[in-house]
This record gives sequence, structure tokens and C-alpha cells, in this order.
Amino acid sequence: MRDRSAASHSVGRRQFLTLSAAGLAAAGLPRAVRAQARRSGELVAGLSERMLTLDPANHYSISSTSVHRHMFDPLVDVTNDSKFVPALAESWRAVNNTTWRFTLRRGVTFHDGTPFNADSVVFTLRRVKDNTKLIKSFVYQDIESVEKDGDYGVVVTSKRPFGSLPAHLTMLGMLPPGAGKSEEAFFQKPIGTGPFRFVSWTHGDNIVLSANPSYWKPSQPRVEKLTFRFIPELSTRAAALRAGEIHVIDRVTPDLVETLKSSRGVKVYDVPAVEAQRWVFQLAKEPVKDQRLRQAISLAIDRNAIIKDLLLGYARPVDSPVPPGLIGHTSLPAKPYDPEKARQILKQAGYSNVTLDFVLMKDLYPKQLEISQAVAAMLGEVGIKVNIKNLEIATAREQRTAGTYDMFFSGWAHMPHDPDWYFGQWFTKAGSEKLTRYNNPRVEQLIAEGRVPDPKVRQAKYEELERILWDEDAEIWPYYSVAIYGISDRLRNFEPRRDYYVLLSDVAIA
Amino acid sequence: MKAYVLRRLWQSALTLVGVSLLVFVILRVLPGDPAKMLLPEGAPQSAVDELNRHLGLHEPLHVQYGLFVKSVFRGDFGQSFQYRAPALRVVVERLGATVQLALAAMLITVLIGVSLGIVAAVRRGTRYDYASTVLAVLGQSLPNFWLGIMLILLFGVALRWLPTSGFESWRHLILPAVTLAAFPMALVARLTRSSMLEILGRDFIRTGRAKGLAERAVILRHALRNAAVPLLTVLGLQIGTLLGGAVITESVFAWPGMGKLVVDAIFFRDFPVVQTVLILSATIFVVINLLVDLLYTVIDPRIRYS
Repeated sequence: MRDRSAASHSVGRRQFLTLSAAGLAAAGLPRAVRAQARRSGELVAGLSERMLTLDPANHYSISSTSVHRHMFDPLVDVTNDSKFVPALAESWRAVNNTTWRFTLRRGVTFHDGTPFNADSVVFTLRRVKDNTKLIKSFVYQDIESVEKDGDYGVVVTSKRPFGSLPAHLTMLGMLPPGAGKSEEAFFQKPIGTGPFRFVSWTHGDNIVLSANPSYWKPSQPRVEKLTFRFIPELSTRAAALRAGEIHVIDRVTPDLVETLKSSRGVKVYDVPAVEAQRWVFQLAKEPVKDQRLRQAISLAIDRNAIIKDLLLGYARPVDSPVPPGLIGHTSLPAKPYDPEKARQILKQAGYSNVTLDFVLMKDLYPKQLEISQAVAAMLGEVGIKVNIKNLEIATAREQRTAGTYDMFFSGWAHMPHDPDWYFGQWFTKAGSEKLTRYNNPRVEQLIAEGRVPDPKVRQAKYEELERILWDEDAEIWPYYSVAIYGISDRLRNFEPRRDYYVLLSDVAIA
Repeated sequence: MKAYVLRRLWQSALTLVGVSLLVFVILRVLPGDPAKMLLPEGAPQSAVDELNRHLGLHEPLHVQYGLFVKSVFRGDFGQSFQYRAPALRVVVERLGATVQLALAAMLITVLIGVSLGIVAAVRRGTRYDYASTVLAVLGQSLPNFWLGIMLILLFGVALRWLPTSGFESWRHLILPAVTLAAFPMALVARLTRSSMLEILGRDFIRTGRAKGLAERAVILRHALRNAAVPLLTVLGLQIGTLLGGAVITESVFAWPGMGKLVVDAIFFRDFPVVQTVLILSATIFVVINLLVDLLYTVIDPRIRYS
């Protein structure tokens, strides 16, 4: 257990539940009491990625989502412990396996005063489904129809069960139907229903937002002005925080934590992320298609040493392919470290002189090169030689498509807080065709059966399929990542998000 | 002279066509798929193919190039894949930041670099000379990345005299400009010193002094002007390079210039942006080269073009 100074705050699962319970209780307080919250000051956040677009349907960038969540509201929101809660939809229910009905919140207006109603939802959903140029479009291709059911009701039917629809909707900001007239002009100066209004965007540098005084959550936002600065270089982002120029930074790496903790006025928060690291195999290729070899590889890797020595404790041991908190998570027996047994298995299976290509996407994950070098050494101990190929991202992905790799250093952040996307992409024949070439009809069947809206059915199907994946050593899941944030000690009510978002609508500054 | 300029302009146009063709082809034979870079990791192949079709990448190479050239003549450099906006607009938005930074760095280079070089040459063998040599060696050997971070930590975090990063006021410009100027300044200081030393030993300098000219006039009007030709060549090349964007300095200071833009664009296979930046910076480079060649005739009347 690493030492935690008073300046560090780690939020555990239990605390999440308490926090979110408090949040729900507060939401129920009478309007008059809550509305007394005063708005003052300016918040500046430093984000690791540059925002590319103001169109919420046209990216899957985490930094862009952080910005957009302040301007646009989704129908459904998700709490830090992966519970789906009302946003612009007051409630939703599955009418049957292929039909969802959403009841919308009344009295909400866009920043220009246009009322939010079923027309907005129908427009936004049809747009993302029909305009296949949009980056998010492929996720919504299962939708059959989106229809109004009165001014404040929307019915969505799908071609096959779409149980993860509410989860995906947490990432889709609602637009006014008027946006369709001239999209290019609209997204130069967009309007949403969110707690902040768009003011200006200096490309590559910053975006400035101002408080929406008529936001439908009367206690939010809690500052007058919110600026996001885009500072991709971590040392610069950290310097700006330490100099007091900005109040929060994301994507802090473990080796920077001590520097930040020892800086005056700076606090460090960390929280287990909704991301599992995964080293995937080319399962149609000799020799890693042999499960015995994969098992030997798994046994030869000392995951705890990687977590403790290379990630300085800022990672969590894995007990399931899906991180805790998400539907389907189930606690499975830990993968042991047993190099002796690994050697035995290799000997019995007749493997000697095995050489594997381990492909990395250059600079994508913190410490990935050091970790791969450690893995190469560990596998070397049992007689497996590893060639590390640290390639530029596009080239690495091209090799994965071509199937010219044995192991691939990857990760999966469950951004919709739902594992359906992950399973459907990586463990169906069609999805994994240009990736890992995974093929197991039973798993494919369980994934299809797990698409229904009923959470109990989903949990049962996912537990079974995760057991299969675990026993097959279909991938190596070395650790769950930890999200680390640096913040100014002047911030009040900051919550470190497990999905890496920087959400500041309910944050005040002293 | 007029014929010379016309010939040079014609050659420049050929160069630019060559650059555009080269960039166009190299980008498309590189491994990596633009749609795959735009879509998240878990996007199905059908979505990748569909997006590539929207981006016009399904056409054969020569058709793509033909369409590109045709639209360039209409001033349309295509839509940026990443930004989903006209590539020219995306690039021009960054051009201001790049020009500001390049000019500031150039100013520091000329003022400090030339002064250091003159002092070192005039006071050869003294501590001024050694100090200027040490500075020059440091400037050329310190990696930009390290220097930038050190300046940020010293002037931004510890002393809090200057902002650490960003693109707002002239105060934000100081640290990146100094960082960027370090290398060319050192280069210019050394070059000025050596060419000044050579000139100061010439007969006409002795004659100037013998006829009683003030030392200041000897150095600035006679020696420096004669030493300026090689200097001008180097400065011209340097400003061309600076205007092409300074990747590392821009990254360290979160400066929204063209350098970082083009590196990201290459990384994400945003072909239209890469093409626009490279054609634009090639144009700048070619124009500055031409201007420098013409300036020679002003500085040294012995140089004539025909």
C-alpha cells in the first residue's frame, strides 16, 4: 500500500456510493434551498488533448467530451459508479427487447430560448443514425426508427436488442432541430441545453464558456466562466497547475504524483478508471493460437511487480475482463505468477525457441515501453524471446489489421460504462476479423443474448462469457488503469471521474 | 534583372508542383488508414470503409491527385479529416501564431546573435569572446525541449514572472521565443564572429582606420556590411525553417502553431492538412529564398543577376 499524504485523495467504490447517494439526496432538495448557491469566479482546466470539433456526434475524444458535456446535455447521465441517472430524459424503460421509450424533462430550454422537446431528440438521433459521415454513426446503426410520442415522449425501436442504448446516450449531446438548417454555421457557435454557453474557441489553444443562468439544475453551474486550455504536454500542464494559472489537469502519470503533491496549493486525486489494459493475441497465428502457450505466457508475467514497481501502485489487479462497477463484472480467481509451471507447460507442449513480436502503439499508454521491456525479461526467464516493436500508431494498427503480430499492447476504456461494445467488437467473428481473429460460437451467442435490456439477463450472460474468456486466456489483462488528476486546493466539490472526463458544472472555487 | 526574377518565379512554380506531388504520393503510400485513425479502436470494418468512401479515399491515386490539383486552383485545399473543416482555414488559423513566434525568435536571433558575434570578434581573446563562445555552444547544444521546460520551471513556476504556456499576450511569447531563438542565435553569433574576424583583417579596414574613421563606423558600416552576405544566407534559411513551424517549442509551450498541427496531422493521417501546410511552407521557403537572393544585390553592389 503506498503512502498517502493528506494531499492525496483516493476515492474507493464505497465512497462513490456514499457520494452519489448524497448527490441524489441533494437533487431532491427543494428548489429554493438549492438555488441559494451563488455563482462566482472563473475556473480554468488544462486538458491533455486538443478539441477538434464542437459537434458532439462527430468524435470519441475524451477531452472533447469533457468540454461538450458543459454545453450539451445528454438524455441519460452516468455517475462515477456507473449508475445511469436522468438528465434530459426524466425516465426511460424497455417496452420490449427492441423498443425503448424515453420520457423527457419539461421546462428545459436551449441557450437561445428554444424549448427542448421530442423534436430535438428525434432530430439528434436520426441525424447520428443517418449521417454516416459522423464518427458516432456506426454505434447507432442498429436503430430502426425514432418516433415522437407526444411532445415529451420518444420511442426508439431497433433491428435487434439494443440494451446498451441508454449507456451510449450518455455520450450524445442533444441538439436543437434548427441545427440542421446549416450545420457548418451552427457548429461554429453551437447552442445546447447545458450549464454553460459557448463564448469563443481559439483553435489549438482554448475554449471559453460562460454560465447559463437559466440552467435546469438551479444550483449549477457554480462559477461564472469556465475555460478549457489544451495543453498536450504533461510537464507543461503540470507547470501551469503549479504556477496557479489553471485549476485542474487530467492524465497525470504516476511518476509525476510526488512532484505535484509536494507543490504548494496542489492536490492529487486518483481513482480506479473504467479502463482495463489488455495485451491481445493474434489468435489465428502460430504459435499464440495455442492456448497452452498463452497460459504459459500468463503464468510467466508478474503483474504485481509491474503494478508496484513500474506504475508505483497506480493501477489495480484485474479480477475480470470488465472493470468493477460495470454490468457484467464478476470476480474471478486471480491469474497466478508461476514461472516454474510456465516452463513445465512449455516443455510438455514441446515449445522451445519461441519468439514473439510484441507490438506497441508509440507513446500511447503511460510507461508502456518500460512495462513491455519488463514483460520481455519475464518471458525470457521461461524461454520465450520477445521482440518489442514500438511503432507509430497508424503503422501499428496497420500491422494489427494485417495480422502480422503475436501480442499487441492495447487498452479499453469502457466510455459508455457498458461492456457490450467491447465484447461485440473483440469477441465476435465479424468484429475481431481484422483485430485478434477471435472466434468462439458459444461466446458469440452469449454476447447476442446479452444485448437485451434486462440487466439480470445481461449480468448472467456476461458472467458466463467472461469465465470462458478468462479460462481461454483469450487476452492478458495485466491491470486496471487508475485515473490521476491534479487540482488546485481552491476547488470545492471536485470529483475525479473514472471515465477520465473533467466535469466542472458542480465545482466551485474558493 | 527582370528576366532573372521571371525565371526564378517559373522555377519556384515547378518546385511547388514537385512538392505537392511528392507529398501527395508519400502520404498515400505510408502504412495507416485515415478512417481507422478517426474512428475509435472498436469501430467495425464496415464503418471504416464507409468513412474512407466519404473522405474520397476509395478513388485511384491519379484521380485523387487530379481532383486535388483542380480544387487547389479554386483555392480549396480539401476538408480536414480530423477537424471536418476546410484545411486551408484550419492551417491559416494557426499561421498567425507561427508567424508571431518566428518573428519574435528572429528578432532575438538578429539582435543578440549579431551583437554577441561582433563583440566576440572585436574583443577577440578576451573574456567577452569566451563568454560569447560559451553562450553559443550552449545555445547550439541544449535540446529545445529541456531548455523550454527549464525556462518554464524557473520563470513560470518558481519566480512566477511569466506565464508558463498558452497564446494570449506578448508576455506569453517571451519564453517560447527565447527557447526557439537559442539555436539560430548561437549559429548567427558564431558565424558573425568568424566572418567579422576575416573582414577586420582586410586592407580596406586598415585604410578606414588610417583615414581616421571612428571605430564604430569602421565596424558597423564597413566591416559588418561586408560580413553580412553569408549572414543573410543563414538568416534566410533560418526564418524559412521557423515559419515552417517549430514542433518541439510549440509542444512544450502549448503554442497553437503550424508545427504541432502538421505533426498531429501526419500522425492521424489527416492528408489535406499535411498537404496544405507543406505546400504553404514550401511556398514561404521559396519566396524567402528569392527575396534573400535579391537582397544580396542591395547589400553587395558587386552582385548582379542577368
